[in-house]
Amino acid sequence: MKILVCLKQIPDPEVAPRDFRLDENNLIADPASAGLVTNIFCENALETALQLKEAAGGEITVLTFGPAEAEDVLRKALAVRADHAVHVINPGLLHPGSSGAACVLSAAIRKLGSFDLLMFGREAGDWGEGQTAGLVAEHLGLPFVAFVDSLQTTESGLHIVGQTDSGREELTAAGPVVVSITNSDANVPRIPKTRDIMMAHRRDITTWSLEDIDLTEDLVREAAGSVEVTELFIPEKDTTCEFITGDSADERIDAFARRIVDVIGSI
Amino acid sequence: MSTTASDARSDAARSNAARSDAVVPGTGFTRAHELFRESVRKFVDQEINPYVDEWEEAEMFPAHEVFRKAGDLGFLGLSYPEEYGGMGADYWYNIALSEELARINGGSIPMAMGVQTDMATPALNAHGSHELKERFLAPAISGEAVCSIAVTEPGAGSDVAAIRTTAVRDGDHYVINGTKLYITNAVQADWICVLARTSPEGGYRGMSLIIVPTDTPGFAVTKKLKKLGNWASDTAELAFDNCRVPVENRIGEEGMGFIYQMEQFQNERLVSSAGCAAGADKILKMTIEYCRGRETFGKPLIENQWIHFRLSELIAETEFLRQMCYHCVRKMEAGQDFTREASMAKLKAGRLAREVADTCMQFHGGMGYMEEYPLARYYRDSRLWSIGAGADEVMLGIIAKFEGIAPGR
Ligand SMILES: Cc1cc2nc3c(=O)[nH]c(=O)nc-3n(C[C@H](O)[C@H](O)[C@H](O)COP(=O)(O)OP(=O)(O)OC[C@H]3O[C@@H](n4cnc5c(N)ncnc54)[C@H](O)[C@@H]3O)c2cc1C
Repeated sequence: MKILVCLKQIPDPEVAPRDFRLDENNLIADPASAGLVTNIFCENALETALQLKEAAGGEITVLTFGPAEAEDVLRKALAVRADHAVHVINPGLLHPGSSGAACVLSAAIRKLGSFDLLMFGREAGDWGEGQTAGLVAEHLGLPFVAFVDSLQTTESGLHIVGQTDSGREELTAAGPVVVSITNSDANVPRIPKTRDIMMAHRRDITTWSLEDIDLTEDLVREAAGSVEVTELFIPEKDTTCEFITGDSADERIDAFARRIVDVIGSI
Repeated sequence: MSTTASDARSDAARSNAARSDAVVPGTGFTRAHELFRESVRKFVDQEINPYVDEWEEAEMFPAHEVFRKAGDLGFLGLSYPEEYGGMGADYWYNIALSEELARINGGSIPMAMGVQTDMATPALNAHGSHELKERFLAPAISGEAVCSIAVTEPGAGSDVAAIRTTAVRDGDHYVINGTKLYITNAVQADWICVLARTSPEGGYRGMSLIIVPTDTPGFAVTKKLKKLGNWASDTAELAFDNCRVPVENRIGEEGMGFIYQMEQFQNERLVSSAGCAAGADKILKMTIEYCRGRETFGKPLIENQWIHFRLSELIAETEFLRQMCYHCVRKMEAGQDFTREASMAKLKAGRLAREVADTCMQFHGGMGYMEEYPLARYYRDSRLWSIGAGADEVMLGIIAKFEGIAPGR
């Protein structure tokens, strides 16, 4: 099975709130204020891919669109034994968004050839849009299943289990399919081993510019154009503590319920 | 933009190569080391920290289980040859490991792992025969075997030349007799690297390092010792009573044990100093956080000049220690002797750990004294730095010798 996993590098969501800053001019997270990490849901996707490969054989290609630093997410993927890594360099577009990223990733995937399974994280921990996987499926004309937490190869195709608002869905896909992966107990990312880390840094990474995949900055900007970032701020968090009083438990419960209605009404 | 596709491609390729090879200035840490750190961090978060309180309480940790996991990730043989399962990596990996293990809540596990990787095995790796390495080094690297180094005795600690344990040749065997004291990992160890007298010359002559499997008849753990700190690490008193081991179990040449042990001490002192700096850094950060949040007399503690000055000074000293360790690695990599510098680092580590523990305890007040808070454990555990692996005064003695100011014996 040929598997493609798309990986996104994001500012570390675990950064201490005190250290986190914004770049007010560019309307992005200040790159100096938080370390860069692989988006956790992308790591869940890669882990799922590795398990599939171990069970049924195959080959895993990892793909990212990002600045030079994004090479780190590919090295890390090679360190858990992904087979090939492809880096499309972002020449400095600040807000490609899901639409811009999907445009770039689809072009790169077309150039890479066909895959049986294309995997994404359910959403990225920076902007949290959760759109890229679906948009890529649309670009490539492939079926798409969101919020998948387990995958198995069977004789009739790929058995897919996903989460829905009302429960779980089970599907079987015969042909190529795009999935977005959510976290589960079964896809906790493995820890890269020392030797694999050392080897990963000696491996070749295919590096493409936008022009290499027949795109230009303008084309990506156009694709991204449907979304514009006009304002970015860190929400002020205000905590107040209130004690509900009353003579009996019933009175206090009553007062508590009324207070909740007030608070909700005022939001 | 007027760059062509091929310009962009070659630019991209260049930045790709540059990124992988770039080192943090003044160190040998590359992106690969950073990724390695991340692995150690995850190992600590997933396999150690959730259990460490339980192990402290039990005064024992499951060394075989933990070491097998560490071995599987390649942590136990970083700078050892691939032939024996090692990684053949540069020593910056050892330093990175030591720095990241300092994130463990307590000194026991870093110490136990340090014994395995940098105290009991360096001489075996450097001077042991191929067969000996296959039998003992390879399983120590994979984590299947737990090992110890036994130098200290009831009558000899700082003065290593005063050891009395003997290994008397009898045909193809050594017959070992004596007592060893305060031996880390020994309750659970599969083999022990023992420093013993193989000839009666006395002083630092006539000693050899010999590997003793713990299932050898005549070997016994006579006591598991209770300690001030580092509870989860087992420390033992050992007896050797006509314990027979094949002559092939000797590391390197007969009579070279003292020299090998002195070499072996350098790695031990270096990694433990690097771990000490990282541990002090962690405790200082924790204290800063606490002093920011804790208010007395209407303002956060940190706003008192005494407090932020004191912490700033300790942060500066910690940075000096860290840089001294890096300097040692640079000398090591250049093939130069770094005994002088490692001794200085070890001295500073011991002193600094005591100062950090005491100061941070003071600034935490009653909270720091509570067992539920990590500082109390650090206070106990960190005291060992000035005693183990050569006491502060032993370091001073070595430095004095290098400086030519120690009176001759
Ligand atoms: C928890 C723990 C784990 C240990 N693990 C191991 C292990 O795995 N293997 C092993 O072999 N040993 C181990 N040791 C032993 C340790 O290395 C010794 O305790 C240390 O070397 C000091 O020796 P000593 O205890 O005999 O003290 P002594 O040599 O009796 O010295 C006592 C004190 O006297 C002072 N002193 C010593 N010499 C001089 C001098 N020349 N001038 C001035 N002052 C001096 C120092 O302050 C020293 O602390 C461990 C010890 C502890 C506490």
